[in-house]
Amino acid sequence: MGDHCEQTMRRLNTYIDRELSETEVRKVKAHLDDCPPCEQVFDFQAEMKRLVRKECCTDDAPARLRDWVRQLGAEKPKPAG
Amino acid sequence: MDQRGVGMSSDFSLFERHLDALYRSALRLTRKPEDAEDLVQETYLRAYRYRNRFKPGTNEKAWLFTIMTNVFRNRLRKRPAPEDSIDQPGTDFDIYDQMRRDGMPVHLMSPEEIIVDRGFGDEVKHALEELPVPMRMVVVLVDVEDFSYKEVASILGIKIGTVMSRLHRGRQALQKKLWEYSGRPKAPSLAVGAR
Repeated sequence: MGDHCEQTMRRLNTYIDRELSETEVRKVKAHLDDCPPCEQVFDFQAEMKRLVRKECCTDDAPARLRDWVRQLGAEKPKPAG
Repeated sequence: MDQRGVGMSSDFSLFERHLDALYRSALRLTRKPEDAEDLVQETYLRAYRYRNRFKPGTNEKAWLFTIMTNVFRNRLRKRPAPEDSIDQPGTDFDIYDQMRRDGMPVHLMSPEEIIVDRGFGDEVKHALEELPVPMRMVVVLVDVEDFSYKEVASILGIKIGTVMSRLHRGRQALQKKLWEYSGRPKAPSLAVGAR
């Protein structure tokens, strides 16, 4: 594994989370374009992040809780619990 | 400066629209629907009570999550969940690397194929709920709720560096659990600390 690979792997989380500066993003992108093994690791980790979000977004609040919050917003809440 | 906040009842809809996000995160934190519902109610009651402290134009979702994580941590302090203090995964682990070391042709598989093939999807919630609370909170806030590191640092009152290290360890621990659930024989290095 070359220096560029190591640097890229160290920045992978922050790159996936869109927390890098533009300059750093360009560096990581350039390396990923050049290095299929690193690109595959990136693809997998990015997919894992999407998976966590997708799987956890399936639980919507129960209707009675929504009604309760609406009533609270209308300033006539029922007793909680 | 005018800091009257969300005074009129119609503005409470600003808070109401984050109900599903708060509820699903509460569910990951408490692991039980009835506790999640209770946590969300308490969060909204406080948001309502302190609505004048909310500065219009600032991030109301982050504000609500600050309230909720505080309420949750206070409850934990009163009623600590014993299993949360023990499991501190410290070993480096990621599924892709593990599969590569096991000699699987990962370079010929798409990420979706790997995930579907091993059935990781079905176990994500379960695996997430098994993470120690500090890591779980960061993974939920970043990966599910899409908060920035800076926002998470502010919500939880921790440093950005702490957010990053908990996120990193949390993701590794999550992958390790998914790997274990998928029924794969454990490599010797993984047997250490396994239950």
